[in-house]
Amino acid sequence: MRSTTEIRWLLAIAALLYFVPVVAAQTPMLYTKWENFTPANGMPDAKVFSVAVDSDRVWAGTENGLVLIEKSKVSKVYTTADGLPNRVVTGIAIDKKTGDLWLATFGGLSQFTGGEFHNYSSMSSGLANDIVYAVAIQDEILWVATTAGINRFNLRTGEWSIFSERTAPMHEPWSYGIAVGDGKVYVAVWGGGVLEYDIAGGYWKPYNDPDGEMEIVLFKNQGLIHDIVSGISYNHDTKMFWASTYFGMSGYDGHNWYNYLSTDSGLASDFVNATQTRGDDVWACTDKGLSYLNFKTNTWVTYRPNKETGKGEIVITTPDKKINKIESPTSLAHNYILNLAFQGNDIWVATAAGLSHGISQSHKEGTSNEQARTSR
Amino acid sequence: MKLHFPTHALQGSLIPACLLAAVLSLALASRAQEPGSGNTASPNYLTPIAAEISPDSTKLYVVCEDADAVLAVDLRTQRVVKKLAVGHKPKGLAVSPDGKTLYVSNEWSDTVSVIDTAAFQVQKTLPTGWGPRGLTTDRAGKTLYVANSIGNDVSVLDLTTGTEMKRLTALRSPHYMQLSRDGRYVYVSNILAHLESADESPVSELMAIDTRTQTVAQRVLLPEVLELRHVAEAPGPQGGYLLVPFMRPKNLNPLIQVDNGWILTHGLAVIRPAKANPDGPSAHAQVTEVLLDDVDRYYAGADGVAFTKDGRYALITHAEAATLSVIDTKSLAQRLHSVSAADLPNRLDTARQIVVRRLPTQSNPTDVVVAPDGRTAYVVNRLDDSLTVVDIPQFQIRGRLDLGGPKEITALRQGEQLFHNAKFCFQGQFACATCHPDNHIDGVAWNLETPQLGRDRVANRTLRGIAETAPFKWNGHNPDLQTQCGPRIAKFLFHSEGFNHEQLENLVAFIKSIPLPPNRHVATNGELSAAQERGRNIFFQKACDNCHPPETHYTAKKSFDVGTAAKYDTSGLFDIPQLDRIYEKPPYLHNGEARTLEEIWTIYNPSDRHGFTSDMSKEQLNDLVEFLKTL
Repeated sequence: MRSTTEIRWLLAIAALLYFVPVVAAQTPMLYTKWENFTPANGMPDAKVFSVAVDSDRVWAGTENGLVLIEKSKVSKVYTTADGLPNRVVTGIAIDKKTGDLWLATFGGLSQFTGGEFHNYSSMSSGLANDIVYAVAIQDEILWVATTAGINRFNLRTGEWSIFSERTAPMHEPWSYGIAVGDGKVYVAVWGGGVLEYDIAGGYWKPYNDPDGEMEIVLFKNQGLIHDIVSGISYNHDTKMFWASTYFGMSGYDGHNWYNYLSTDSGLASDFVNATQTRGDDVWACTDKGLSYLNFKTNTWVTYRPNKETGKGEIVITTPDKKINKIESPTSLAHNYILNLAFQGNDIWVATAAGLSHGISQSHKEGTSNEQARTSR
Repeated sequence: MKLHFPTHALQGSLIPACLLAAVLSLALASRAQEPGSGNTASPNYLTPIAAEISPDSTKLYVVCEDADAVLAVDLRTQRVVKKLAVGHKPKGLAVSPDGKTLYVSNEWSDTVSVIDTAAFQVQKTLPTGWGPRGLTTDRAGKTLYVANSIGNDVSVLDLTTGTEMKRLTALRSPHYMQLSRDGRYVYVSNILAHLESADESPVSELMAIDTRTQTVAQRVLLPEVLELRHVAEAPGPQGGYLLVPFMRPKNLNPLIQVDNGWILTHGLAVIRPAKANPDGPSAHAQVTEVLLDDVDRYYAGADGVAFTKDGRYALITHAEAATLSVIDTKSLAQRLHSVSAADLPNRLDTARQIVVRRLPTQSNPTDVVVAPDGRTAYVVNRLDDSLTVVDIPQFQIRGRLDLGGPKEITALRQGEQLFHNAKFCFQGQFACATCHPDNHIDGVAWNLETPQLGRDRVANRTLRGIAETAPFKWNGHNPDLQTQCGPRIAKFLFHSEGFNHEQLENLVAFIKSIPLPPNRHVATNGELSAAQERGRNIFFQKACDNCHPPETHYTAKKSFDVGTAAKYDTSGLFDIPQLDRIYEKPPYLHNGEARTLEEIWTIYNPSDRHGFTSDMSKEQLNDLVEFLKTL
């Protein structure tokens, strides 16, 4: 027969075991340790436009070449002298099947394969324009976002198709981002909203700002937050696409819209350059820091460097709008964030002043990051 | 035709003379048909092109492209014991590591035949990319790699399910595949080089596929050479390097200088692939190019290559010189150490130091394999339907193994043999086939004549499907193939004896018989896609058919000035090319300036003289290109 005190302790422990995971789930893992790659340690340029992770290798597209980072070091820089078609590398897609890299540059599209660059320009191929912002791979179809529309390049037959204001429901051809979803391809169109391509049906469906206003948001959660879309990502776990705009963030699950502004959420700024997402995580790359949203708990975290102290500033915004600030000894290279990529639980962040590696607390030397990747 | 069965063939042979006499067919006198008889009907030649020996050394498999068949030769009795029908135009073969399965690539069927070697029956047929040629399995026999010569890629097939897992980008006309001895890499050769500027020498490529990840590990660049054929890796302690035959053209020099020598040379690339770096990209490979020609005698069409069992010797076939060269690899190594890699590609004194034997073969030897016992080599004589059997210890010809093709040599067959025979060129520098591999193009522009004499550089043109496309030559001055291939060739290109009348007629008959390959861009039901249909409308709306009428292979058969004359061209008039299978023929325009179809209009039509195209949108140009690919 247990005593009353003993029972009370057991009940207390049981209650703790019940509630602690909930509390823990509402507190996202924080990145307090950052290592930065800048011209001081081998980067060819401070401005990093794009980043992609291929297992233990990290590729970064900068304003002056393509960079390979291995074992926390810049191991190789590829420039136009190596065959890169242009010094500005704005987008990177890794073909996991073939191991090839597809590069968006300001001088056309490039396939980096076996150490060689195979280049495509609007003069030599069916590429719509040489200003290329993004590439995405859908099996053996390559999707390319250019200033003159969207290209679909069939890698088997060599057929190029162009979707522009003449052949797709888009007001503007200026395409910034592409994401491949489940049976769909999503395109971020600057001034034209989000375009959804049905792969099986071969037709487009546009998503636009329902109020049509450029400066204000009249209809919250009734549609895309703004037509000036800068980036797009698709979450295969939640089946949602997320669009970054210069006037806030939008998520869409096929039925409901989830829009966020800096005024009513923990989003660092409404000027969002890009977004990445997986599991419950949604990341927003803004001009005032890197913002994270746990979509399930509605908890926000923003990372930015503190210019005065040089340390990192972490701002946590809970669902009830309470704000907690934490200081980290290291920080992002810059608050102007251009893109992001995942490496297991680590993140790699392209900023205007270098590439930043956010090292997760679970990260252990020698541990495969792919193995460590879990849905949080 | 000279058939060869030397009296010393039986010396040293382990096979009793009586058995040999029974199984090796003696030379049969054959007579070509009367010149110009018009009787060019071809009996069913075998045209063996490649061979592999079974792991247990009992069988030699020979793939025969004109017979659409694969043969099994019993190596003990030296007899063809089985013949099996496969797909259309089979070109390559690979044996599974356990020897139970044979894979044959069918270039015109876009398939691989999977053959049970015990029953010698086709078990199933697997679809591949366009134009499968070289192929190999991995070491476990679970994955098949296939080089697609038309698709310019590599199919990676899961042999457990028979499905294609992925395609890897090759260069141009990928040809042969070789699994490295450690099983780590698959090497892929390419016949054609990178599409460079017409003013630059070609750069070819050997691709290395990592079999662990099935991704492209490395692309080894080979400067100033073309037509990489077979690949062989040195065995055992001498391992670590590859031999890859090539043709080395001096296409930027006036071809009229052939009689000065050195315009076309032939040799081997000695390649030490970069060692695998498990943590990142590999370092650069070491490439050294050596010539196999003699100072006053060239050996065109370096093609098949194999090492002897101990690696001491390498055997190379010269497909257009009917010769097998035997190279002492020890001397080769010494040569590589004594002469700089920069000098070797231009040294014609290398062969006398490394070539220890030149053995005559039959017509068009395209492949050579060495039996696992190391005592015998078999040379595949493509246009003789035979194998030359070589005794390795003595490097003597043991005899000719008849594969059972027709005995008579038709005019057409003789024409094909002439096409592949470099003896008509000064010092044997090249044959027609040297610059027209697979009856097609070598992909580079040639300086055929000096500026003072006429045209500057002109792109090579295909010989496929040209029978009804006269006149010939880019200036359109040759009204027929007899003019094109007759005295003009003898005087300006071969700088040697020309073909006699009978030979010329037979050669022309053969060239006229070269068919067009199937078009891969047209749906099997013949219907055009929406983009192709739009492109077709543009083609006719823009009156492209004025100069490219469909009824005459899309050529008006006359010359026209489309504003593409370059610096040294004395006239802007050029023969309007036919457009059949145009997608297989880059580069484009008379001088090969346009690397892609798009560039014809985006770069080289600034004055709208090659059709009024400046008002076209990019979408319309893409559609037009899609239509052109269907022709």
